[in-house]
Amino acid sequence: MMWVEILSRQRDVASRFRIDGPEARIGRGYDNDVVVDDPYVAAQHLRIFRDETGQLVAEDMGSVNGTFLDGGNSRLARIMIDGSNPIRIGRTYLRIREFSHAVGGERIVRPERRRLPIALTMALGVAILGILVLDIWLGQTVEARASSYVTPLLTVAVILLGWVMIWALMSRIFSGRSRFVGNLMIALAGAVAFALYADVARVAAFAWTLSGVITYQYVAAWLILGVMCFLHLREVGRARLWLKAVLVTALVATAIGVQTLERSEAFSDSGRQVATWQLMPPSLRAVSFHDQSAFFGEIADLRAGLDRDRGQPRPDVAGQ
Amino acid sequence: MGDLLTVSATVVARALRFLFIIVAIGRGAARAVELPSSAAEAIYAAAPPRLLQIRTVVAGAGRQISLGSGFLVSADGLAITNYHVVSQVALAPKTYRLEYVAADGSRGDVSLLGIDLPNDLAVVRLDKHDAPFFSFDKTAMQGSLPKGERLYSMGNPLDLGFTIIEGTYNGLVEHSYNERIHFAGALNPGMSGGPAVTAGGLVVGINVATRRGSQLVSFLVPAHFAAALLERVRGLEVPADLRPEVSRQLVAWRSALYKSFGEAGFRSTRLGPYGAPEAAASWFDCWAYTNAEVTPKPRANINSTSCSSDTSVFVASDLNTGAIEINQSYVKTVDLNQFQFAAFLTRLSQPRLVGGGPFRKWYTPERCHEDFVSVTPAPEHPPLRAIWCAQAYREFDGLYDVALVAVTQDHESRALVSRLSLQAVGYDDAMALGKRFLEAVQTVK
Repeated sequence: MMWVEILSRQRDVASRFRIDGPEARIGRGYDNDVVVDDPYVAAQHLRIFRDETGQLVAEDMGSVNGTFLDGGNSRLARIMIDGSNPIRIGRTYLRIREFSHAVGGERIVRPERRRLPIALTMALGVAILGILVLDIWLGQTVEARASSYVTPLLTVAVILLGWVMIWALMSRIFSGRSRFVGNLMIALAGAVAFALYADVARVAAFAWTLSGVITYQYVAAWLILGVMCFLHLREVGRARLWLKAVLVTALVATAIGVQTLERSEAFSDSGRQVATWQLMPPSLRAVSFHDQSAFFGEIADLRAGLDRDRGQPRPDVAGQ
Repeated sequence: MGDLLTVSATVVARALRFLFIIVAIGRGAARAVELPSSAAEAIYAAAPPRLLQIRTVVAGAGRQISLGSGFLVSADGLAITNYHVVSQVALAPKTYRLEYVAADGSRGDVSLLGIDLPNDLAVVRLDKHDAPFFSFDKTAMQGSLPKGERLYSMGNPLDLGFTIIEGTYNGLVEHSYNERIHFAGALNPGMSGGPAVTAGGLVVGINVATRRGSQLVSFLVPAHFAAALLERVRGLEVPADLRPEVSRQLVAWRSALYKSFGEAGFRSTRLGPYGAPEAAASWFDCWAYTNAEVTPKPRANINSTSCSSDTSVFVASDLNTGAIEINQSYVKTVDLNQFQFAAFLTRLSQPRLVGGGPFRKWYTPERCHEDFVSVTPAPEHPPLRAIWCAQAYREFDGLYDVALVAVTQDHESRALVSRLSLQAVGYDDAMALGKRFLEAVQTVK
């Protein structure tokens, strides 16, 4: 007595046959106990029986394509059945199990913990909404209009929703569950991180005269996006995380490289810095005032760079 | 000053630079009685052999790319025209060459002998000898020509043929660093380099520009500059490359300009509680601006003054440079909070460098430095947030464009935004002016 299970390519059970006799025949022909609709399987392909010791044995009945253990390359005439390692005939995977095959204890049903992630997601949603509204409000220097709030907020909402839907769909396809809340939480956290970075950068550019934090804002944006993608991929499936990490890292590095190149080419075309001049209320100043002579000392130092640039050939006529 | 009297290739299929020569009529305007039906007719009747059209020809294509006018001033074939008529040849002698076409249809080669960049003049040599020529008017050279005197300007407007235009002498242009004659007459593109003569046929000035958006406001270069240039280059060999000369004249002219600017210094004008520096030199033109009557009602009031100098010079067809500008804006919030007010100021105070030509050809990339700056002694000088941006001219050693912007940091709901922009300035001059500019931003009790 045994069970013959036909497995999918993901090695999930696709169908299961109960064999009450001592022997089972498997093949494409209709005289078998288990009929396999696989053109690469012989009409009579495999026989499962018990040897003298009572051990289940699979025996190839002279098929052309042979019988293999899952993942093995060597053709086997006889295979000792251990109930765990699948067998491959043609392009079909099989697993044979005894009636006595031991199964593990039942998993404990965890109490529903959906409330926490939902609360967290909502908090993140409120946070991003708050930051966006605050940014718009603080940047508003003309007559306030409802559309100047509604349009950007809706745009962000639609983009976030679209993004989450794509990842939920991927999760559904590859892991069977859409994990909408998890994906939404990741997307919102990413948006909050980026909005916070942008605000902190603006303040820092003024308070500490660090214009670099605005100039290189795109690097931060790509890094945040990379982390988001990795977390989404982790949500889709936890297998081969290192591979996903490598993939995401490579993509982020490429994106940063390409954008850096693009910016440096745009700079050599226009000669203008991306605007970083940013004023804030004077009370946010975090460094002390420098004396005028120090300021002009720094300015005098710019001259050497300008004169060096003058010595360089023009970008468009190099070699003329 | 105004639009140069050339037609750009984008306006008319070909760019026209015209030179007309006016013929000197016999000496002495007293002969007006003997003139035919009008003075203009008489003047023009005598002009043709002395007038020229000067063509800039693409060496590799054999046809003109721009046209202008000119006039003979000596028996050995020297003629005067505008620098901007011949600038392509001065800057790229391998790509372009010059030709003249006389009124009788004869043509020949022209070589460029010398230039006066600040006054937009050039002397060329023709292979034409013993032709009649124009003389300069002595009275005009001494500056004693009376306002209202009739002048006759000649040139070839839009390549339509040599033309004579009657107008009035209105003395020298006021508030101008460059000496220019205000001529009330209809100069048109293509007449650049043509002469403007008295009824006696003596040259008073050289057609150079008109003012866009005006009627009949035209400008002439006073004849004494042409006479001086002629004196300087007469007898010289034709130089192989005029680029170093262009660069030398530009640098020399700019340093004189900034010296004069520095000597006049800044005077303070009151804006709210601040004393704001304005240019003291007489050749600045200052205007005010306010957004008080703007709709929708502004959420911060701006009252500003803006002083600019008309000191741009034509260097090449794609480079006019040398303007100086000082802007002072006093901004006070109406109902903006301090963050909104800072955003408002950010927009108002962007440190733009306004180059006078295409970036890649003429300028190096800009470099900026920004900081919080205190100017001592503290009570009179508000603390500042200042940024300095500069770019260098690739072709002209020692010349830079500079913009300096300073925003006062002593109050969160009002500020003075001060902007100084200097084109084609020496770096040391710019730093000295920048220092004085920041020192002149003051708090007034």
